[in-house]
Amino acid sequence: MEQLTNLIISDRELATISAVLLKLMNDTNATSAMLLDKSGQVVAVQGTGTRRNATTLGALLAGVFSSSREVAKLLDEKDFRNIFQQGVQENIYTTMVEEQWLLVIIFDKLTHIGLVKVLSKKASDELGRTLERVRSDTTRTKSSVLNLQFRSSVEDTIDLLFRD
Amino acid sequence: MALINIATHEIHCKIVYYGIGYCGKTTNLQHVHKSIHPNARGDMLSIATETERTLFFDFLPLDLGTVHGFRTRFHLYTVPGQILYERTRLAVLNGADGIVFVVDSQAEKFEENVQSIAELEMNMRRIGKNLATFPLVMQWNKRDMPNAVPVNVLEHYLNRRHVPSFESVAADGRGVFATLRSISKNVMAQL
Repeated sequence: MEQLTNLIISDRELATISAVLLKLMNDTNATSAMLLDKSGQVVAVQGTGTRRNATTLGALLAGVFSSSREVAKLLDEKDFRNIFQQGVQENIYTTMVEEQWLLVIIFDKLTHIGLVKVLSKKASDELGRTLERVRSDTTRTKSSVLNLQFRSSVEDTIDLLFRD
Repeated sequence: MALINIATHEIHCKIVYYGIGYCGKTTNLQHVHKSIHPNARGDMLSIATETERTLFFDFLPLDLGTVHGFRTRFHLYTVPGQILYERTRLAVLNGADGIVFVVDSQAEKFEENVQSIAELEMNMRRIGKNLATFPLVMQWNKRDMPNAVPVNVLEHYLNRRHVPSFESVAADGRGVFATLRSISKNVMAQL
């Protein structure tokens, strides 16, 4: 399937996503929860610990997931969807939402991985439904955001900023 | 896959620098990191081997500031160029909005460049994208080398789609920003 060119997240959908992440974080007693696009862009973050490094974390976590997925393919794994990174202090569980997003939960040793797996599956299903709505909204909302004025201003900014 | 977040008024785009080992992909990012205003960039992250070859990717987030109410960000990535990292290149390409194909202009690297662009085409097909309609810019790097292949030869064999191309010496910064301007505008035009 041809990948979409872009995804547009509205206020309403972001509020839903943030609420799902917050609930997941509270119910599992996790340190943070993030939703990433598989390209590494951060869609939403909950939890204070990761906010400062969210951009870099997003790039690395998506890279790690994508790389592990390639490893799984080489091993003839048919449906690779989750990674669990066990640390000394913090653990990271990453699970795929449809084929588009990555749900990341960062938690310490007081939280059991089993709980994280079960509740993240539930959250992932809910986020999957949000993703469907985002996909159907994307074409409609696009022209209102990326109008001619925006395009012209962004070109001027690129010329101004990216110069020798 | 560009992400347009209306709620937080942010636009994120991913640009990937692709090409053979030692062609100058990391050098491009290092020059941008060094030269651009510190407010417009984050820290550069490099996952490299002990000999400073790219192992996974380099990552440099750029922030154009607020344009018409939207904070616009470009995330620049490089792929590892060495042949054995083919699958890693595929992983980094995932979700890209634009590609800069960096060519090492030296004659002895010509065949490797040809193979690399063929690999890129194949990898794009694997992730469901068609390179023919995808934002792509060519950079003819290392133009200062005595054995550099003439530009018209590179254009003929490596730029069959006639996408924008730029001569560069990334180590001196020549052509780096011209390339970045071109791919950034190209990506925005395709959104």
